[in-house]
Amino acid sequence: MRQLKINLPQCDGGRNCAHECEEACATRVFKLDDSAFAALHIQTLADGQSAAVICDQCGDCVTVCPAEALKRNKLGVVMIDKKLCVGCYMCIGFCDKGAFERIPGVLEPYKCTACGICVKACPHSALEIVDVPVPAPRII
Amino acid sequence: MTANAAGPAITPCAVDYSRRTEYHEGLDAIKAAHRLLREVRYTPSLPMKGYNDRTLHVDLTTLEFREEPVTRQMKDLFVGGRGFGLWRLWNAVTPATRWNDPENEIIISPGPVAGITQYPGSGKSLVVTLSPQTDIPIDSNVGGYFGPLLKFSGFDALELAGRAATDVILFIDGQKGILRIEEAPLEPADSHILAELLTRMYAEDEADRSNISVVCSGAAADHSLIGMLNFSWWDKRRGCIRLKQAGRGGIGTVFRDKRIRALVCRGPVVKADLNHPVDFETLARTGIKLHKEIHTLDDSQCKMRRNGTAHIVEIMDAYDLLPTHNFQYGSHPDTHKIASPVWEARCSQMTADGCWYGCSMGCAKGADGLVLRTGPYKGHMVTVDGPEYENAAGLGSNAGVFDPDWLLELNFYCDTYGICTITYGTLAAFVMECFQRGILDRERTGGLELAWGNAEADLELMHQIARGEGFGRIAGQGVKKMKEIFIRNGWGDPGLIQDIGMEIKGLEYSQYLSKESLAQQGGYALTNKGPQHDEAWVIFMDMVNKQLPTFEAKAEALYYFPLFRTWFGLMGFCKLPWNDIAPADNSKTDEPAKIPEHVQNYLDLFTATTGIQIDRETMLMQSARVYNFQRVFNLRMGKGLREHDQPPYRSVGPVTPEEYLSRQERYDKQMLEEIGIDPEGRPLDEKIAITRKYRMDRYGKLCDAVYARRGWTPGGVPTMARLAELGLDVLPEVVAIVQQHGG
Amino acid sequence: MIQVNGDPLAWTPGLTVRGVIKAKNYLFPLLIVDIDGVRVDPPDYDATPVPDGASVQVIHLLSGG
Repeated sequence: MRQLKINLPQCDGGRNCAHECEEACATRVFKLDDSAFAALHIQTLADGQSAAVICDQCGDCVTVCPAEALKRNKLGVVMIDKKLCVGCYMCIGFCDKGAFERIPGVLEPYKCTACGICVKACPHSALEIVDVPVPAPRII
Repeated sequence: MTANAAGPAITPCAVDYSRRTEYHEGLDAIKAAHRLLREVRYTPSLPMKGYNDRTLHVDLTTLEFREEPVTRQMKDLFVGGRGFGLWRLWNAVTPATRWNDPENEIIISPGPVAGITQYPGSGKSLVVTLSPQTDIPIDSNVGGYFGPLLKFSGFDALELAGRAATDVILFIDGQKGILRIEEAPLEPADSHILAELLTRMYAEDEADRSNISVVCSGAAADHSLIGMLNFSWWDKRRGCIRLKQAGRGGIGTVFRDKRIRALVCRGPVVKADLNHPVDFETLARTGIKLHKEIHTLDDSQCKMRRNGTAHIVEIMDAYDLLPTHNFQYGSHPDTHKIASPVWEARCSQMTADGCWYGCSMGCAKGADGLVLRTGPYKGHMVTVDGPEYENAAGLGSNAGVFDPDWLLELNFYCDTYGICTITYGTLAAFVMECFQRGILDRERTGGLELAWGNAEADLELMHQIARGEGFGRIAGQGVKKMKEIFIRNGWGDPGLIQDIGMEIKGLEYSQYLSKESLAQQGGYALTNKGPQHDEAWVIFMDMVNKQLPTFEAKAEALYYFPLFRTWFGLMGFCKLPWNDIAPADNSKTDEPAKIPEHVQNYLDLFTATTGIQIDRETMLMQSARVYNFQRVFNLRMGKGLREHDQPPYRSVGPVTPEEYLSRQERYDKQMLEEIGIDPEGRPLDEKIAITRKYRMDRYGKLCDAVYARRGWTPGGVPTMARLAELGLDVLPEVVAIVQQHGG
Repeated sequence: MIQVNGDPLAWTPGLTVRGVIKAKNYLFPLLIVDIDGVRVDPPDYDATPVPDGASVQVIHLLSGG
């Protein structure tokens, strides 16, 4: 399946860039003004470490969604069908990676679709789209 | 083996949950036989701040529909749910109305918050009617989709009055704005087929099935007083219907008396904000918080997502509180055979099991691939909800049945026949004890060997009830009427029969052992509808925590908890997410037993939906109005006095020598330390009598303390002062009844 | 000797909160524990000692839907 992957040392927690990945994601993919609403987040931690909040397409949300609004597409990417979504936010609650986003005033949450736009935007080539096996569903 | 989020790995159940016997072959012919009796157009609406401000009245005699307004007074005094149901019923009946008079109504009412999709347990409805078993109002809470879909079709409650001339289906189409009554001559009676058929029949396509909920009963409701209602929802992953129940009191029997075959509601596509809440962000934030809490902590707390309420089977056994052999004992060496690890392995774990959207507690587990061994569906493969605690205790340990497959089959047939499992569990246990003691024998049961643990005979009794045959015709009348029949026939000692028949006001006890908990004896006997535990569950507080040492402390608990727990049924909330999950820092709070953060969640959800500010005090006032109104309603129907609140002795203390001996140390100790009589050397029957007198005296003192705390007279009548406090004195008939009884 | 919810329980050296819970067979998963009025949080049950003569309160949260 398609999966967004980050090389954290190369990224260096966004210390040497303008978080172009978040900017590109928010404005070009989700048509939002504020890069805080991007579907990925690069974090600079206090002790000099870096972290990234990224959807790894694990599929836990597919299992918990009562409306079957979350499904893997042909590329194995977990996509949300807004027509089926009932806005219960169990996906947000059960995501261990914190990878779901929601905007106040918009009923349906959203997430990374492994589209690759952030990959092109990164000035340090720290992001890539990889192809990995679909993980087995787990009891959650 | 797949690892779960926290805790040890679970072996997923290998049963293919998409496979089961299919029943929709005859659908077209059944549909073609429908005859339209009445069709009316109406304007659908969505609630504003949780209310549509109208209810739907259906007269099945005249086939007329009528919209009734929800007034300001109704909202102020009765709020929704149980309150609306009781108010509408009050106005429909007189003191002379009996359950099978056309004037009796069934009212289904969700509540102002019902239908939000963010917070676990927000899809419930309350169902109210005059009970065939008690002759007073029964109120029953039920999960699932019907209530929210009814609200989103435009109605805050549905009133069913009168009686149809033939079996009919009432169809509410909230998408098209159509109300229909159709004659339905060919529909099968039993729910697992009927609800499936009607969901497919009334849905316009596969996706539309999620917008359909069916209310129906089963064959047993035509031949017994113990019928219940099933409320269906469409399980997308399994591709079949699932059933939740409005049990207790025989509501299904009233339903069938009215010749209703089914209610079908087709609601609009559900979205996050159909209640038009005042403050959606608070709903979202609070819901996400609970989802995270359940995700992180459920596996290390009650494991509701894995086992549902069956997680307490082994716990009750460990505390000697699991009803065994008709509430004689509290544990059994075979309990492990029906304990929660069995169900964790047997129920499919990879499905979304909430009975309404957003319930991440998801306790409605399903056992798939059950091949039935008896009855009209022998050999069929079915999915059955597997099982709630009440069913494991009532159909299991209380009857001496410890085989999980028989337990599932007993559960399945109760569900499809429309029999309340709690009621059936207690009546079957009574029958088995009567069989044990020679009050019944094979001749009197028509050949049924109703001995402890004989699941096949137990199932055959159920099949007889469904067919209206044999001993089933007697058993289906419930414990109270069986006691009258057995005594009248001279089949046994009347005193013993009265002592071991576990019912009050005509309603059977639910599956908790109150024998050693004075507070729970009151919790059961001082309940408006009869001994159902939804009002007060104080056994641990009393017996284990020892938090209720005095009469006053017990009375305080029996004042507070019924009011607090009633509140959920005004709103549309399930109470399980209140206390079957606790926040990580709950132990650091001042009153951890009340789970204060969750109480605040509920207040916030009500305010966020309706815009009405409430605090813990007004929350209790809302409940107290409905609670006291129900007590006055009981008085109006002839059963609201102290004499009607008296328990059978089996629920208070040891009836028989074996029972005394099974807990001799405890009873002898009580005799010495509390009663002040030395048990040494006394004959057993004398010790039993001494204990009995002491315990019944104590129960009487408890009544005194509880009535006083509730603002009732020593006779159990709400006082005028209490009515005035609650604002119920604006209702002249309520005042008249209270004054008539010296309140 | 210690008291647990007012009932006596034999004390042994090294007795912990977890030990008390096991001795009483308190299987219920949601408990609130106080030793002499001081709250002990669930993560600390295994490591917290119970002194001889202590009064331990083990509150079971309500259940029963």
